[in-house]
Amino acid sequence: MSVHTFDTMGTMVSIRIADTEEGVPRQSIAAINEIEHECARLNETFSLYLKDSEISQIARGELALADSSELMRTEYARALDWREKTDGAFTPHRPDGVIDLSGTIKAVAIDTAAQTLIGSGFRNFSVNVGGDLTTFGNQSSEETGWITGILDPLDRSSLLAALRLTPDFPAVATSGSAERGEHIWLRPETTKAFVQASVIASDIITADVLATAIISGGQATLDQITQNFAVAVMTVAPDGALQANAKFQELVAR
Amino acid sequence: MRSGSAFMAGLGSAAIIAIGWQAGVGTLTSALPQSGASASGTSNAAGSSSGTSSSSSSSASTDTSSQAATTAPAASGAADGTYDGSVVNTRFGTVQVQAVISGGKITDVIAVKLTDADRKSVAISQQVAPMVRSEVLTAQSAKVANISGGTYTTQAYLQSLQSALDAAGFTG
Repeated sequence: MSVHTFDTMGTMVSIRIADTEEGVPRQSIAAINEIEHECARLNETFSLYLKDSEISQIARGELALADSSELMRTEYARALDWREKTDGAFTPHRPDGVIDLSGTIKAVAIDTAAQTLIGSGFRNFSVNVGGDLTTFGNQSSEETGWITGILDPLDRSSLLAALRLTPDFPAVATSGSAERGEHIWLRPETTKAFVQASVIASDIITADVLATAIISGGQATLDQITQNFAVAVMTVAPDGALQANAKFQELVAR
Repeated sequence: MRSGSAFMAGLGSAAIIAIGWQAGVGTLTSALPQSGASASGTSNAAGSSSGTSSSSSSSASTDTSSQAATTAPAASGAADGTYDGSVVNTRFGTVQVQAVISGGKITDVIAVKLTDADRKSVAISQQVAPMVRSEVLTAQSAKVANISGGTYTTQAYLQSLQSALDAAGFTG
């Protein structure tokens, strides 16, 4: 197992490669370099805290969305599509109207990194960006899939659950209302039903968006999502009460 | 076969109680008739060896713990029947357990209520259901390779469990 960490978008990327064939160390350095580059490009394009980023220019009205890059328009369209699918619980618009794609770009970065690793020939790895992650293959020759802990939001030194992520459900994202996630806004009619929501899905973008939507939309959104999407879900209420669906319990590592 | 399945159900409940609902059990014991409490030490191990079926015992069930206390004989051991413990609020949600008394001993302990404080969660339990920590965190946690949690900043990362795992990964 080799572990590579680097800093991007105000958080940390942690990539674990479990492939053991000869030549892996050298190949992994090249792949990690490429991933660092891709993350830097996404950061420079989509970070509102960078004054010169493309999205900051759009926010200031200096650049019309119609004149923006194809990457910008593609990602904005993707975020709008998720707004539709979640009945508005997820939105790429800040309350002041500014377009903020940080709710999807981190997941896009994870997905892009995974595709880069697959393209480089790796078959057993995980990509974790700030607590959201996707996996491929197995973490070791003794374990099927990747054992992944869900952090306890009320005691950050301990875990609530241990899951086994496998090819059908390789990605998990966890959103919290107490975190520093500027892309989460509570709708006026909802209360703070959950302090944390974890979603396990077939891809990291779905997992990340739906976890954000549950925190934003509360119980009604949770019910809608478990009816409409093939995902595993666990939520934590402010008093620590847990809810999970049957799929989540299937994924518990035993 | 029938008593066998009742035994398994009792065993499962007892195991969960032992792990996660100690607060509930404590309150249950105090809500039971005095003489019943002394029998509680041997309760779970007894299982349903006495052959008590759940259907016959539930027919004797009472609605509240106060009723249970008043209908039970004071000195000669608890009457056979099913007794509800108090409703207890825990960090896992609202918990209530039910004790089946047979021959003066607790022969089964059943969770009758494990819900969020919000009653609506009962109606949607087909999608998501309340659960206790012991159901999801297993011995496999020793092999955890990654941690999913609320977004951590670069600075918070250094204090996070993930950074400890990453550091361990360099040497392991």
